[in-house]
Amino acid sequence: MAWELILWLFSFVVVISLVALTAYQLICLSDLEFDYINPYDTSSRINAVVIPEFVVQGTLCTIFLLTWHWFPFLMMAPVTYYHFKLFTSGRHLIDVTEVFRQLNGEKKYRMIKLGFYFCLFLIVIYRLVMTAIVVLIDEDDHPLDSGSF
Amino acid sequence: MHPFGNEKPLNAPGRPAMPSPAASQATPPFLSSGPVVGFGASGASRTTAPFSSSGALPNPGAQGAPQAMAPPLSSTPITGLETSGYTSPPQGRFNGPTRPPQPSYPVQDPNSLQQSLAPRFPPTSQSPYPLRSPPFGAPSVGPPLGPPPPAQVPVVPMGPPPQISSPSHPRVSMAPPVLDSSVPAPRPVPHLPLPGNPNASPLGNMPHQQFPAGRPVSMPAPQTFSAPNAPPYASPFNAHQGGYVPPPPPVGATLGFNARGQTQYPSTGPPLEGTLQGLIEDFQSLSVASTPGTLDHGIDPKLLPRPLDGDNEPTSILETYPLNCHPRYLRLTTHAIPSSQSLLARWHLPLGVVVHPLAEAPDGEEVPVVNFGPAGVIRCRRCRTYVNPYVTFTDAGRKWRCNLCSLLNDVPGEYFCALDATGRRCDMDQRPELCQGSVEIIAPTEYMVRPPMPPLYFFLIDVSVTAVRSGLLEVVSKTIKSCLDELPGYPRTQIGFITFDSTLHFYSLKSSSSQPQMMVVADLEDIFLPMPDDLLVNLSDSRSVVDTLLDSLPSMFQDNVNVESAFGPALKAAFMVMGKLGGKLIVFQSTLPSLGVGRLRLRGEDLRVYGTDKEHSLRTPEDPFYKQMAAEFTKCQIAMDIFTFSDKYSDIASLGTLAKYTGGQVYYYPSFHASIHEEKLKHDLARDLTRETAWEAVMRIRCGKGVRFTTYHGHFMLRSTDLLALPAVDCDKAFAMQLALEETLITTQTAYFQVALLYTSSSGERRIRVLTTAVPVVTDLGDMYRQADTGAIVSVMSRLAIENTLSTKLEDARQLLQLKIVKSLREYRNLYVVQHRVAGRLIYPESLKFLALYVLSLCKTLALRGGYADASLDERCAAGYSMMILPIGRLLRLLYPSLIRVDEILLKASHKSDEVLERLPLTTENLDSRGLYIYDNGFNFVIWFGRMLFPDIVTSILGVDFSTFPDLSRAALFERDNEISIKFTKILMKLRAEDPSSYQLCHMVRQGEQPRESSLFLSNLVEDQTASTSGYRDWILQLFRQTQQSS
Repeated sequence: MAWELILWLFSFVVVISLVALTAYQLICLSDLEFDYINPYDTSSRINAVVIPEFVVQGTLCTIFLLTWHWFPFLMMAPVTYYHFKLFTSGRHLIDVTEVFRQLNGEKKYRMIKLGFYFCLFLIVIYRLVMTAIVVLIDEDDHPLDSGSF
Repeated sequence: MHPFGNEKPLNAPGRPAMPSPAASQATPPFLSSGPVVGFGASGASRTTAPFSSSGALPNPGAQGAPQAMAPPLSSTPITGLETSGYTSPPQGRFNGPTRPPQPSYPVQDPNSLQQSLAPRFPPTSQSPYPLRSPPFGAPSVGPPLGPPPPAQVPVVPMGPPPQISSPSHPRVSMAPPVLDSSVPAPRPVPHLPLPGNPNASPLGNMPHQQFPAGRPVSMPAPQTFSAPNAPPYASPFNAHQGGYVPPPPPVGATLGFNARGQTQYPSTGPPLEGTLQGLIEDFQSLSVASTPGTLDHGIDPKLLPRPLDGDNEPTSILETYPLNCHPRYLRLTTHAIPSSQSLLARWHLPLGVVVHPLAEAPDGEEVPVVNFGPAGVIRCRRCRTYVNPYVTFTDAGRKWRCNLCSLLNDVPGEYFCALDATGRRCDMDQRPELCQGSVEIIAPTEYMVRPPMPPLYFFLIDVSVTAVRSGLLEVVSKTIKSCLDELPGYPRTQIGFITFDSTLHFYSLKSSSSQPQMMVVADLEDIFLPMPDDLLVNLSDSRSVVDTLLDSLPSMFQDNVNVESAFGPALKAAFMVMGKLGGKLIVFQSTLPSLGVGRLRLRGEDLRVYGTDKEHSLRTPEDPFYKQMAAEFTKCQIAMDIFTFSDKYSDIASLGTLAKYTGGQVYYYPSFHASIHEEKLKHDLARDLTRETAWEAVMRIRCGKGVRFTTYHGHFMLRSTDLLALPAVDCDKAFAMQLALEETLITTQTAYFQVALLYTSSSGERRIRVLTTAVPVVTDLGDMYRQADTGAIVSVMSRLAIENTLSTKLEDARQLLQLKIVKSLREYRNLYVVQHRVAGRLIYPESLKFLALYVLSLCKTLALRGGYADASLDERCAAGYSMMILPIGRLLRLLYPSLIRVDEILLKASHKSDEVLERLPLTTENLDSRGLYIYDNGFNFVIWFGRMLFPDIVTSILGVDFSTFPDLSRAALFERDNEISIKFTKILMKLRAEDPSSYQLCHMVRQGEQPRESSLFLSNLVEDQTASTSGYRDWILQLFRQTQQSS
């Protein structure tokens, strides 16, 4: 049971980091839109976190698969696949030369992803709390049990 | 508003009128005072006018003054010049019939007028008819030519009594026509469709308000209508009661001559049908239906409109807006901005601007240079607009109001100047920035992030075996050497060279050494610069070393057998050399890059890709390296011009990216061989090196509230949402941008656009070129069509289409073009279909008469034509890249090249140097096998020898007979010692002189010499049907059918 708790704690941290990474990219894009930073900086900043995001997301997905948590896994699988496709077709990075033309699309894409990560976040929190309660209750119960023993 | 433009004295009065009916929001556009007045003044008293124009502020008080001034400029002569004479009579005539029923009219009270009219329509319409037609015929023939005032008189008899009195007073006299035009509306035909008619709606918005506006005061309008520019504004007046179908807004407007036709409109009845044909409407039409009885549609090919005069710059706009910058610098796709998004949605063509900031101006029209000195550059605090002729000075000259954002700014003390009685600055005429739309401002140090850079030319030359064998290296070295004296920016100019094959060769050009020193770097993975300080040198210091190098280059590599090309590493090396300064990198590349970073592979061999969704990927760069490099180059202010020469695939799609994002240019010489292409390469390279170039430039276009620029098209890189970074820009590059409207209605009468190009001139001066233009805001779709500019539309559409080919199939890109034109023609047809008998006719606005043809030929250009077999991938991409930067004039020339028959001129004994070369329609039907033709698209000549051409001509020109010299592709064309040849060469020179920016290479082809004839020549006759494309006639039929559908 403790493993379960650790797993959900870990996913909790990972999902938060995913949300943060995506939000960071979004902020960079809107900064670009309002002309606070130039396209070179924007694209280098965003591109620097794209691969980490993919890796983290893929790892989490794999962990869910390995621990046989099929529901979160199925939720994440399509996104993982999409990331994989993007990566293999070489479209995962922001193109500095065309960034303004793609700005709206990229923003929308990241907004949707942010929304998705939020959903995931809610689920993970729920499971985390559930697990924690179960574990704590179990621990509470056990002494009783043993006491009655 | 325009209306007023023509009429000096009148506009002044007109202006005041508008402020008064504050209620009428819709009105303003038409009355828009600003530019208009300016125009009127253009001739005699420009000085006065601009001011009053700016007086757009509702300033009734001002009215007095202008008026007073106006009379001396008596309108009559002016109107006389304009065709107004034509128009007004017909308008008057209209009234005749319609009038009688409206006694209330004279009252001049808008409200009462409307009321009275409304009920009357029905009766009016029917009865007057029979009576009306006869009178029309007579006057229409006679009076139209008379000067306006007299012309009006004949009108009077028909008109209601009040009118008669009016003529006495010039101003008042004008009034009737306007009102008339609205009156005729009650005509029977339009009446029926009253509520449902879609056409009525656009006009219907502003029915009543117009009237107050249209009070006698503002009446000058009608006269001006005749001017082609002015027409749009007439329409609002027609809108009466919103419900009825207005007479075609342009009535009497568009074409003065058409006036006669208008009289016919009301009478849809059979009686007049016969004459209908001969009459010109306010739109142009092509009769599509053939003789009755045959099912087949027929068009007389001879009647199809053809742009045989080439591009006409819409200079007429300058008559209305004399303060605008010249259209050679800036052209809108339609010189009328729609006031709302819903109106824009019905304009299916692109709405945008084509800017050609450094267009070459003819002598005497150079852009004036302004130095604000200690005052600093005068700009709006909020929107950063530069001071321009359309700003208004108030508060005794202490403040000025920005015309874009209407913010009131302080006038710096150094720039202060008192205002005269009319409210214009006394020093207006001495200040070009206040009386001209295009100026160059000397920028102070705040506009520099570093000291102005020197002009810098860096050459990256391929010396692999192909380059050497084809003679490329020799031609290039020679040409560069010959241009050294003319490089701009002496004595600051800097220069450097790198050559490369499988290794990189650097050249130390230290001025102290007598010989250039060559250093070879073979490590392509980790490039370093040997002697980094001597690779880029000042040309005037090291001139002798550079000369020596250029002399010895060809011989140094003449035995080179290296076939590899380390293009990517060479680029990186060049970047390391130039990075600190920026400048222009000129690349000569003759093979596919094969070594190091950025190596490319053969693409496009797989035929199966064509026609699938992956087809477009062949036209986009394969390796992100090139995009990244391009971005880095732009960041460091390096522009790249790429000369490619390969006879095999060299992936221009990837190489061109470098030029695309650095503001450069792609030159492509397929199968280059010095003996054939030498002249062209020499000319192109010399032009590239010696034309005036603006360095480290940025360009921004500003516009007023309610409008914003969304997309930009051309060779540049966007540095922020609206800032184009142009490391180098010159007179051969134009940029296009598209506009979008905000959701709110535009309430101003005029929209302003201001282009600012901040650059370093070759002489090391930081300058800002400011181009300002004013555009009326319209509420009627008809106005947009009337003011459309085919050249600009085609330019924007071609850029959009080429960009589309980068993400979709060619077929889709072409269909999109067709769809756009069909939609727009359908919309236009809907405007007129109800009142006019347009069945069986394709109707289009006069301004867009060539659009169909241009779009057809656009679909047939190298960049967009056919599929795999029709053009090689490289040719296609190169054509695409060059079309993305072409200025409008050259683009139109490329789309509809000239075809000239010269054999008769050659044989003619009389020798006139200024012989007019008559352009022929581009169809095979015009080819006579006894003739000699020159086809000239601005880039190439094709000289077509008819099969039965007089043999003397052939022998004189070529020096040989066809029977002994069958291979024309290798024939040399040069001036021979006989009259015919001399004349012929003169003609070619004359054609080449028309456009110095490119050199036409001669291709000679004999009739029946397949396959060269069809690939070189016949496939370029855009009006002809080819295997996969339709001919002009079929194209028109196709458009016609599609415009009919669902309309």
